[in-house]
Amino acid sequence: MTEEGKEYLRSGLPEQQLVYALENYPQKSATIGKLVGRVRNFPVALKWALEKGWAMKKGDEVILLKKPDSFDLQDALRKLEKSQEAEKQLIEILLQRQLIEKIVAHKEEARKLAGQEVTFLTPEIIKTGTWEKVRFRPYNVEAVGPKRYPGKRQPYVQFLLEVRQKLVELGFKEMVGPIIETEFWNFDALFQPQNHPARDWAQTYSLKSPKLGELPSQKIVNAVRDAHEKGIAGSTGWQYKWDPRRAMQLMPRAHGTAVSARTLAAGPNIPGKYFSISRCFRPDVIDVTHGVEFNQAEGIVIDESLNFKTLLGILKMFATEIAGAEKVKFLPDYYPFTECSVQLSAKHPELGWIELGGSGIFRDELTYPLGVKVPVLAWGLGIDRLAMFKLNISDIREMFTKDLNWLRKQPIVR
Amino acid sequence: MPKIEISLSDLNGLIGRRLTLNELQDAVLYAKGEIESAERDLVKIDIKDSNRPDLWSAEGIAREIRGRYTTKRGLPTFKVAKGKIVVKVDAKMKNVRPYTVCAVVRKLKIDKDVLSQMIQLQEKVATTFGRNRKEVAIGYYDLDKIKPPIRFTTVKPEGIKFTPLDFDRELTPREILELHPKGREFGSLLKGMGEYPMFIDANGNVLSIPPVINSDVSGRVTEKTKNLYIECSGFNLKFLVPALNVLASALADRGGIVESVIVKYPDRTLVTPDLSPKKSFVDVDYVNQTAGMNLSSREIVELLKKARYDAVAKGKRIEVSYPAYRQDIMHQRDIVEDVIISYGYNKIEPVMPKLATIGGNDSREVMSNKVAKVMVGLGLQEILSYVLSSKANIFAKMNLKETPVVEIENAVSENWSVFRNSILPNLMDFFSVNQHVEYPQAIFEIGITTLPDEKMETKTRDVRKLAAAVADTKVSYEGISSLLDALLSSFGIKYSLQKISHASFIEGRAAEVVVGGRSIGVVGELNPLVLKNWQMEMPVVAFEISLENF
Repeated sequence: MTEEGKEYLRSGLPEQQLVYALENYPQKSATIGKLVGRVRNFPVALKWALEKGWAMKKGDEVILLKKPDSFDLQDALRKLEKSQEAEKQLIEILLQRQLIEKIVAHKEEARKLAGQEVTFLTPEIIKTGTWEKVRFRPYNVEAVGPKRYPGKRQPYVQFLLEVRQKLVELGFKEMVGPIIETEFWNFDALFQPQNHPARDWAQTYSLKSPKLGELPSQKIVNAVRDAHEKGIAGSTGWQYKWDPRRAMQLMPRAHGTAVSARTLAAGPNIPGKYFSISRCFRPDVIDVTHGVEFNQAEGIVIDESLNFKTLLGILKMFATEIAGAEKVKFLPDYYPFTECSVQLSAKHPELGWIELGGSGIFRDELTYPLGVKVPVLAWGLGIDRLAMFKLNISDIREMFTKDLNWLRKQPIVR
Repeated sequence: MPKIEISLSDLNGLIGRRLTLNELQDAVLYAKGEIESAERDLVKIDIKDSNRPDLWSAEGIAREIRGRYTTKRGLPTFKVAKGKIVVKVDAKMKNVRPYTVCAVVRKLKIDKDVLSQMIQLQEKVATTFGRNRKEVAIGYYDLDKIKPPIRFTTVKPEGIKFTPLDFDRELTPREILELHPKGREFGSLLKGMGEYPMFIDANGNVLSIPPVINSDVSGRVTEKTKNLYIECSGFNLKFLVPALNVLASALADRGGIVESVIVKYPDRTLVTPDLSPKKSFVDVDYVNQTAGMNLSSREIVELLKKARYDAVAKGKRIEVSYPAYRQDIMHQRDIVEDVIISYGYNKIEPVMPKLATIGGNDSREVMSNKVAKVMVGLGLQEILSYVLSSKANIFAKMNLKETPVVEIENAVSENWSVFRNSILPNLMDFFSVNQHVEYPQAIFEIGITTLPDEKMETKTRDVRKLAAAVADTKVSYEGISSLLDALLSSFGIKYSLQKISHASFIEGRAAEVVVGGRSIGVVGELNPLVLKNWQMEMPVVAFEISLENF
């Protein structure tokens, strides 16, 4: 008998309790609200009482129809308690209502197994001690277990998490920015002139709707305009008429540097180290090296003490810590928003020399208008190449794979 | 990043020293170049500096390398002989293509290498620096087939007929735009103009319609051409002057005699090209502060000479002259970079900055990660999809009416033309391509969805969502609501499910997930119509909730 069964043996089954309760009301009826507190497990009580035709429900009111002469289930429980036989039909109901367990029958069956060969060791075989008298059928223990597929992280997501983790360990704080940007943050704030080829229709997406966003404070807008039109901080600038409407145009973020620009404008910590891993969009022709979308790992380091030598120091650290590189090489490079610019080439133990990142010192024409007047080192890491190596894939599109078999079978990236 | 092809022997001839391919690998770094491939004598180089058109030819690369590998240091000088040829710019040009700058190069020995470099430089400068011919269109002509003075004027689309390059008959300008491959490629630059720009000589022979095509007569330059006329046309002298200087300097390095051209505008006269050096300065302290080094003014002067500057130290300031083809120097910093490149990036010992900073993940990232851990614990496989989608996927196939979405104007493909507002379509797409794979399939994705929002600065709002779905021969609402409950209970979130009608789900088998009186998502069994739209033959249950207030 279960705990519940023992309780009902004492106080009657719920439907029985309901009958008793209703009997006590002068009208032989009561509202559900009143009964709930007086009857154990009221919904069950009501269900059975209605089914057996002892009571009826009228709106919120439960009315007693008849009190049965005896309560056969409670009687059956009593018999079972005394190890007497009970009606088979009642036993079925008690089993179904989980008021008794089929333990007695099993015990007998277990005893009958003595001397035989069994497949499954059961609690009954243990409890009755029959296990001492049976043989266990040997299994083919050398057979590989049937396939099952655990819940797992997506391998590329897992890789990105590990890069994040590493950057956090190196003291970088994560920054996030919106997927849809104004050209202002994607280009103008980065000192990319409005007629720059990178801003061409073929190089970047633009939006059909919505079309125009808002520019930041007039102070920042004016300073950026001046930097473009006539120069700032000792620069000649690009010398053209800067168009604020062009800067308001919305576009899907084309590079993570947009996020760095926002961080600078928001008043970063100095010293400060920041990173972002951001989804970026460019209308490339899609092939094995160009996906529909890609992730960029980018960041900045801000401090009065920084210079070209420390830029190389940061890059070397990335090569060792992120790529496990043995050697590094620094190559002159070009970005519109950094000067001096460096390409980081790293000797990966298995891949050989790879182009690991691009970096530089942000131009004053970029940092001054955003209110930062100390050196800012900017870096970007080509992590996708490493990801492809770690995931053992040769097509960049497989990072966003739709192949469930591959996901199920792909070993966890170590 | 222009990719250019050169002949190694030709380059070595220009450098004046025989570099092996291995030596060249290091040497091209001074021109911000990287060797992409080499096959016998043909070397492909990627020049990373998209703001230094002078480096986009063998002549320019050689000039940069000479400073570091030979005794030819300091400012490269170019003589310009005074010429008499006049180009008259018509007042009508003002609204069509207002500017041209020109040069003559005489006694040029054009061989195969010279010609291929000329054509390549013309193409790279016009495409990259010249914004695909919009800002700079370049024409080379056989001067001996032209009778000066030359007029830069306009002509009606049905005006003068002439034979364009690589064509066998005369065409009107309109016909050229319609029939000639270059006309079709660049004709859009003349769109909407009543008259087209044209160079015509004193005999009335057409030189070209810039920025589209040259004439097949004077505008064809071959190895037999001795004397060259060059013009650059466009809208802004800031682009045109450096472009012409780059071309003229390259041909001067080939031994040509550069001669000036008098370009007469209605209001002024320009004599071009002017290859006299430009002047600037750099402060010793600024160099050292930026580089993190301790160089003397003498050392800096020497390094600048290697980078083809002339430099004179005057106390703490160094006065510099640099070639006329360089238009990239806007700030002292640009000169500092050249100093460091001359010094050699790899001779500098990297120093790790000592900065006490505290790292940390964005809080939304941290939360997403915790949610993902629970989903994985519940046995679901994580997937990752593009956030770009199509209206068909997010609306039609999901049996939903269109609502405003963030839409791309110049989409590469209809498939990637809108930003998703929901992740569930990605899960359906995933199921639909995995129907041959063992069931049950239980997947989830956490990611960004993007919605139009007038109140935001970018008129859009990124919403982080979680979607989870199970497909199997037999699925139940209870099965998915228990997964949802397991997740929300794990985070101690109190919620209720409230029955709703949702066209993606079976009527009576969908509920809104309500937390604190606000709906955060939906749970239910997918409508067979939706399954059919995705060509699915398995029932699916799913939920999708926002993680923004988790």
